[in-house]
Amino acid sequence: MTTLDKPAAAVAAPAAAPADRPVRRELGVANVLSHGFLLFWSALTVLPLLWMFLSSFKSNTEILADPWGLPAELRLDNWVRAWNGAHIGQYFLNSLLVVAGSVTLTMLMGAAAAYVFARYEFRGKQVVYYLFVGGLMFPVFLALVPLFFVVRNAGLFGTWTGLVLVYAAYSLPFTVFFLTAFFRTLPTSIAEAAMVDGCGHFRLFFQVMLPMARPGLISVAIFNFLSHWNQFLLPQVLMQGDESKWVLAQGLAALSVNQGYAGDYAQLFAGLTIAVVPVLLVYVAFQRQVQSGLTAGQLK
Amino acid sequence: MNRRDILRRTAAAGLLATPAAGLLAGCATGGGGDDKGDAGTYKGTKSEQNPLGVAEDAPLEVVIFNGGFGEEYAKAHEAMYTEKYPKAKINHSATQEISKTLQPRFVDGTPPDVVNNSGAGQIDFNGLVSQNAIADLGELLAAPSLDIPGKTVKDTLLPGAVEVGSYDGKFLVMNYTYTVYGIWHSTKLFTERKWEYAKTWDEHIALCKQIKAAGIAPWTYAGLHPRYMSWPLISTAIKFGGPSVATAIDNLEPNAWKSDAMKAAADAWHQIVKDKYILEGSSGLDHKQSQTAWCQGKAAFISCGSWLESEQKDVTPAGFNMTVQPTPSLGSGDKLPFEAVRGTAGEPFMVPAKAKNIAGGLELFRIMLSRKGAQDFTKKVSSLTVVAGASEGVELPFGLATVVKALDASGSNGFNWVYNNYYRKLERNLVDAACGEFFSGRIGPAEFLDQCQKGADSIAQDSSIKKYKRAV
Amino acid sequence: MRHGKYPLIVTFLVPPVLLYVVFVVSPYLQTFQISTTDWLGYSADANSVGMANFKALWNDDYVWNALKNNAILLALVPVLTIVLGLFFAAMLNMGGRKGRAGVSGVRGSSFYRTVYFFPQVLSVVIIALLWKEVYHPNKGLLTSALNGVGLSAPTWLGDPKTAFWCVLAVMIWSNVGFYVVLFGAAMSAIPKEIYEAVMLDGASRLTTLWKVTIPLLWDTVQVAWVYLAIFALDGFILVQLMTNGGPNFSTDVIGVRMYDTAFGSETKFGYASAIGVVMFFLTLTVAVLALRVSKRDRIEYS
Repeated sequence: MTTLDKPAAAVAAPAAAPADRPVRRELGVANVLSHGFLLFWSALTVLPLLWMFLSSFKSNTEILADPWGLPAELRLDNWVRAWNGAHIGQYFLNSLLVVAGSVTLTMLMGAAAAYVFARYEFRGKQVVYYLFVGGLMFPVFLALVPLFFVVRNAGLFGTWTGLVLVYAAYSLPFTVFFLTAFFRTLPTSIAEAAMVDGCGHFRLFFQVMLPMARPGLISVAIFNFLSHWNQFLLPQVLMQGDESKWVLAQGLAALSVNQGYAGDYAQLFAGLTIAVVPVLLVYVAFQRQVQSGLTAGQLK
Repeated sequence: MNRRDILRRTAAAGLLATPAAGLLAGCATGGGGDDKGDAGTYKGTKSEQNPLGVAEDAPLEVVIFNGGFGEEYAKAHEAMYTEKYPKAKINHSATQEISKTLQPRFVDGTPPDVVNNSGAGQIDFNGLVSQNAIADLGELLAAPSLDIPGKTVKDTLLPGAVEVGSYDGKFLVMNYTYTVYGIWHSTKLFTERKWEYAKTWDEHIALCKQIKAAGIAPWTYAGLHPRYMSWPLISTAIKFGGPSVATAIDNLEPNAWKSDAMKAAADAWHQIVKDKYILEGSSGLDHKQSQTAWCQGKAAFISCGSWLESEQKDVTPAGFNMTVQPTPSLGSGDKLPFEAVRGTAGEPFMVPAKAKNIAGGLELFRIMLSRKGAQDFTKKVSSLTVVAGASEGVELPFGLATVVKALDASGSNGFNWVYNNYYRKLERNLVDAACGEFFSGRIGPAEFLDQCQKGADSIAQDSSIKKYKRAV
Repeated sequence: MRHGKYPLIVTFLVPPVLLYVVFVVSPYLQTFQISTTDWLGYSADANSVGMANFKALWNDDYVWNALKNNAILLALVPVLTIVLGLFFAAMLNMGGRKGRAGVSGVRGSSFYRTVYFFPQVLSVVIIALLWKEVYHPNKGLLTSALNGVGLSAPTWLGDPKTAFWCVLAVMIWSNVGFYVVLFGAAMSAIPKEIYEAVMLDGASRLTTLWKVTIPLLWDTVQVAWVYLAIFALDGFILVQLMTNGGPNFSTDVIGVRMYDTAFGSETKFGYASAIGVVMFFLTLTVAVLALRVSKRDRIEYS
């Protein structure tokens, strides 16, 4: 088709040539303008982060006296203070542990439930489905107090297991909503063919449907990873007391509240930077997967 | 894992199976408020050596507000406790979010034994008191002091310390520090510029003019927490009209905020707004930022309590020498002398009514209120305690020394108000918002007092808020 | 279906439903029940007060003020975010020189996409803390920049006239990147041939965007709309950390009101739960309406 078009365009070209000049100029202006806008927004995005990064090397006096200034020296002790003194390092590992568990559990349960909703008919299906999706509408902290008792009565208070279960439970609405839509878009013909070949329901799911749903699974897994990683309210209530078990967001919040009293801005900025840099690095390294993951499923 | 836990889990399984049936009743008591009763509490035998009846091997759980004072001082007090009761195991934790951390445990009936209920995330005392969630500390007051012979704990406290923590005549909250509120300036700056702190309002305004002409903003304040400015304003009114001004406000009397004294004070303070004597941009600063601007010499005056010096420790330049002073008098008609300052007990500690080791909690308070405990606190965090004379012999930093001096000069003329303890929302939200409008110049004195009064009225009309009457 | 499907349905559905009912549904149901009590949160005592909390809500000026702010957010955040998102996505995907092959992305578009997406991977806590400093009235990045070119700057978060817009700006800032990438992905999924055909007809880029791209993207826009609407009704963490609703309640939102009633200046959990229940129904209504409205528009386009 393109080969056919080319001669036609070539024929049309000479006739269009005189009109092409002003268009070009207009395009040039548009290009400058569009790059201007694009650069402006980039600056808007990057500046605060850059500033946070630089501030993490400054002394408290430098931060307060001249926020635009560069640090006089690279004060790595801010980082040391945040990493050790504020235990950001340990909280980082705790977060990894909890999030690894909760994302795995969310994906297992979410995919299973979504698959059933998308592919099977049974009585009461709509009710159960909307029960899940309705959870999207409710602010989490409204449930905090009753939730505390449920978790405590189950003997899971102050445990990572408790956090994993609760994170997973609160991620199910979005995960189920999203994956149900995704499973529905997968062609039914392959599944039918597999069934004809004698493939059982369970084998069909694990060997045919799950691999086919990979893009959707990845995207929702990334989404859940980010939201679990940044979770703040749930651990605040369910992981009290034992500071050695805290997750990163708790550590950062404590650091930021503490900053209001102790005035150690540098430690706060260092803590924030420690929390941000690995996430940004992972993102930049895997950005194609993250971006397509986060957005691909939403298009279906 | 003891038997009770297993029982509780079995009960919980039942609750989980019928989640809707349990609802509030299930959640509120299902956690085991009932099955403990007296059996779960620790009591020792009272004796002369042990007037509070502490069980020597009972564990003690302490939750400290990890704010300006940090938590080290508390660890020191706890060490004194274990020195006395070596068999006791102390479970210490510190948080900045007292309310969020402890709220479920209160409902559950398993609160810690000692709570330092302070900071922005403190639990509203009105709610706690009206729900009988705090233990009566009367026994502590009557107990003999640990190391001040011949005196009960009550005898060793500064005047007003008991009153502040009392609700309907019951002493429920032990406020540990003694805080003086006033107007702060740098002695260094004032000496350099040959300025002198003004004792009357007219002189104060004249001084502000002079300071502004020198290129320094006379005032700054925490624009994001503008209630800091309500303190000097109300102080001015009380000094003008006498302590009854405060009593009326505390008791939510009709039009208490629109008394003549409050009007005079609001009119006076409006001058620093009108004449632009406030550092530009102050309305966008939080307490820390405004205090730092002040420490950097960008403004001459700031309103704060006596915790200011330790809060600003890291950013105060050497030789800054901060000094606290009373608010200037409005004129010769003032009912209280210039020297009168607002001094009050602060930093609240409580023992929850359902704590397992109430006696242990009271005993820890007794240790804190001993001369040794109080001196250790003053040394560690540069702050006064409610124990009279406990700072004697302790070398005080410059600012704290001026606090002691101001307190001495004020003597029996000292005054206080407590509406902020009774009705937290009134100060933290409503008066706060009105101050923000007033000190940024968006409303005038009359509208300011109207807005405060409207807030007070809304509290007075809210039947879900328990009301208290201040004795004096 | 030759094999029984029920073993799979039961195995796959029971564990998630159980987990969900125990940890999500039951607490929420309890919240509905609490909203009809006068529970003060620190003891087990709670009396049923029927609809009294909801009646009090109706007369609560502070709640109405917060709702008003939520309404403004609801009207502006989705529109502005989507417009900006479409604008940047269009530039990145179609802003390049018009070649024979129809449209192409601008140079460096992958760089822009990477950078724009940054806020999406940051936690709201970090975003709020950063912007609070950016808005610092004396030495924040913004004030310094304005002063640098000889303009006087407002006090941003300190002034009721500007604080709300400052918060709104951060909401848009933190969301645009995601939608640029989302819309961008949707745009690149549009077959090149369509553009080629339209461009051969002599359509300008703007008409192409308006007549071809956006209609084809409408499904995505609709999803974006619902998410942003829910986001605008919440906004809780951002507002709480940046202004806590002040100054003078100018940035108050319903989430902050609820939080403050329960954990902040008061401990009225019954009342707070009532606010939450109202919020629940509002969110539900908005989501349903957003879906309805955008569905109708879609029919008009196709």
